[in-house]
Amino acid sequence: MYSIKKTNLFIIGGLLSIGAVLMAADHLDAPAVMGTTADITDFYAFEGANQDNTVFVANVQSSLAPAGDSATFDENVLVEVNIDNDGDLVEDLIIQAIPRNGIMYFFGPYAPSQTGLNSVINEEAQYLGQVEISTGPAAITSSSNGISYFAGLREDPFFFDFTQFNAVIGGMAPNGFNNPGNDDFDGTNVLSIVIEVPNSFLGGTFSHPAGTGVEVFNTWVEAKRKQ
Amino acid sequence: MKFNNIKHIVASLFLTIGLVSCNNDDEGVGPVVPSIDFSGTFAQQDQMGRPGINTVLSGTSEIKNNFNVTIPSEQGATFQPLFLDQAVALHDAFGTTYETNILGLDAPTLTTILASDVLQVAPNAPTTYFDGTNVLTGRTLTDDVIDVSLILIFGGENGDRFNGQDLDNDGTPDLPILVTDGVSNAGETPLNVFPYLEVPHS
Repeated sequence: MYSIKKTNLFIIGGLLSIGAVLMAADHLDAPAVMGTTADITDFYAFEGANQDNTVFVANVQSSLAPAGDSATFDENVLVEVNIDNDGDLVEDLIIQAIPRNGIMYFFGPYAPSQTGLNSVINEEAQYLGQVEISTGPAAITSSSNGISYFAGLREDPFFFDFTQFNAVIGGMAPNGFNNPGNDDFDGTNVLSIVIEVPNSFLGGTFSHPAGTGVEVFNTWVEAKRKQ
Repeated sequence: MKFNNIKHIVASLFLTIGLVSCNNDDEGVGPVVPSIDFSGTFAQQDQMGRPGINTVLSGTSEIKNNFNVTIPSEQGATFQPLFLDQAVALHDAFGTTYETNILGLDAPTLTTILASDVLQVAPNAPTTYFDGTNVLTGRTLTDDVIDVSLILIFGGENGDRFNGQDLDNDGTPDLPILVTDGVSNAGETPLNVFPYLEVPHS
């Protein structure tokens, strides 16, 4: 189940090395967005080093192998973290990130004036931040109002035998996966946006829809292009 | 190791100086400069909640494209039946059928949950995709989300239904390996402080 929207790897690693297999697996990616600057590769949300905070990680343009240090965020692409506080699958709060001239600007969390497929940026949102985009090993970070910000090139934390997965899905691997498998994302980079937010800014919670009784909010990430 | 640390410190200083001279203090804040243009309408092109949903459970390119531009509140009605078809097809390919999984979910229930592609996050409980105890309370950088997903789809009630078993003890596996991709998180060593992700490969 891999989601992964790791299309670039597929293209670069695949077509070059194992053309036939990969061609068969090419249908696994969503063609409209694959390989573009709006291609989300992964989304993480976890408790921060400070237990009162939640960390959101949104990665785009995956598999920038091997170095991929020339990739840049697109000034026409807005990355938006959505938070649903009541379980109706509609965003109650958003956190937006968009680059301008080497700086990533952040807006929120705040309640959007409209929900759904189209977004605008409220420059008067309650929480605003910015950080210089990191292009090398040093991570340039900033913080304001208790929120921490990072944007830039990082090692892709994803690990997956995507090639064998495609073979399995494509009916070309009757024995399934290999033991051990091969991490196709080893040695690759990704453009990463990391935001650590005090939980007190993230709104309410509801009982887990799977019935576990744990209090949760829903979250998801979107990439939206300027029209 | 030490040398690397020193290099990083020097690099940080250098970057800090650069930042100051560029007029942004590195506490980063303040009102956004009015001359920067953030106007316009931004239309959705991609989206993601849980890992791997669209890649695995959408059976065609058209479904994948449509899923990415459907808001979560409308995903279930449209995509649950399609995801169920795909779950059946994935099993058909190995001459088998879905079996109620380790969480006690039958195929319609599992695909109903997965079709609304959002990630649940617990602000006041351990966050993990699945750690053996806590289920779907977040996703950390080292969670083996692939294996979890494979186990939920192919693992059956014990989670190990298709794991290369040698049923007749003839030394050759009789069942395929479908509950793990054989790749662990051993190579991932995220930092325990912000921004958590590792330095890029050069």
